[in-house]
Amino acid sequence: MPRQIPVGDAPLKQPVWDLPTRVVHWLLAALITFSWWSVHHHHTDWHIWSGIAILTLLLFRLMWGFVGSSTARWSSFIRGPRAVVNYLKGKWTGIGHTPLGALSVMAMFLAVAVQVSLGLISQDEDGIFFGPLAHLVSSDTSDKARDIHEFWFESVIVPLIALHVAAIIFYRLRGRKLTKAMITGRADLGSAAPMRAARWWVALICIVIAFAIARWVVAGAPPFGS
Amino acid sequence: MRRVTFVVAFSVIATAAVAAPLSRQQALQVMHVRHEGMETIGKNNKALHRELVSGSPFMPTVRSSAANIANLAGQATRWFPAGTGPDVANTGAKPEIWQNQADFIAKLRTFQAAARAMNAAAAGTDVGVMNARFDAMDNACKACHDKYRSEMHH
Repeated sequence: MPRQIPVGDAPLKQPVWDLPTRVVHWLLAALITFSWWSVHHHHTDWHIWSGIAILTLLLFRLMWGFVGSSTARWSSFIRGPRAVVNYLKGKWTGIGHTPLGALSVMAMFLAVAVQVSLGLISQDEDGIFFGPLAHLVSSDTSDKARDIHEFWFESVIVPLIALHVAAIIFYRLRGRKLTKAMITGRADLGSAAPMRAARWWVALICIVIAFAIARWVVAGAPPFGS
Repeated sequence: MRRVTFVVAFSVIATAAVAAPLSRQQALQVMHVRHEGMETIGKNNKALHRELVSGSPFMPTVRSSAANIANLAGQATRWFPAGTGPDVANTGAKPEIWQNQADFIAKLRTFQAAARAMNAAAAGTDVGVMNARFDAMDNACKACHDKYRSEMHH
């Protein structure tokens, strides 16, 4: 890929990830880690609240994918197989998620959404802790949901995280610092057009809606409990 | 002095009775009964919780679940003889149970008392009292499980 010739001491850094996208990314990483730790250290109550926080993040990110900055939008990075092939042939010139990386983003988003949904209807084996929507299904269903919830983490979430980290290391070895861009929000984009930023108050509206929906789920959803 | 002698003698006999090594068959039998018993307690606790969180608990379920838990809690006294730990077969019972036996027994007694109290509340009509007793019982379960149960119990 053509790289811009540095002007002065450093290459010109341009915006590629907006603040909400970065905050969601790092909070998600932290909360998934915390969820794993807390459930293995007798803090199932914290585990459930962590899951609800993740639900809030997913809801926000879903909306931000429609009204957020250009690189955060689903429409900007969900592409067909031909785009993936072209990217692998080195013919991709966009910014943000690459067509291949977008597949990883989608897989992780969906996998975490499934995980949260399973958690919401789960109960622990002792009958002490219950997901906020567990009362909407039978006791047997809640037990099964918990079994799948455990299986899903080990068999889907962890491998996807491993693949994600491996890909970042792979690109780093080829000289691309993806992690730094996800922290600073800026990268050397060459001649490509930079990100078009969304307005801050749009993010605020999305946050309010995400919290409201999460609050509704915590209350026990439909007409609040059975 | 005579009293001390009596206590010592009694302790020796009691310990000998408890510590009489179990055959492998007996140990596995106890572990099986323990596993089934704990699972049944869990099942009843789930049913009880589901009734109590609903606005209008179905009392027959509350009463039968509370009674089953209290009954099994009483039997639990016999579920942890020495020689039924993870060195014998796959179990969630940690070796610490037999290393801190006094603490373990105190926690078991707390649970048994909490289960009896829950059962007594279920016989009445005050849902507020039932909820309070239920929380106390859950705390008793958790206090023991956090310390003495490993994750290897499936």
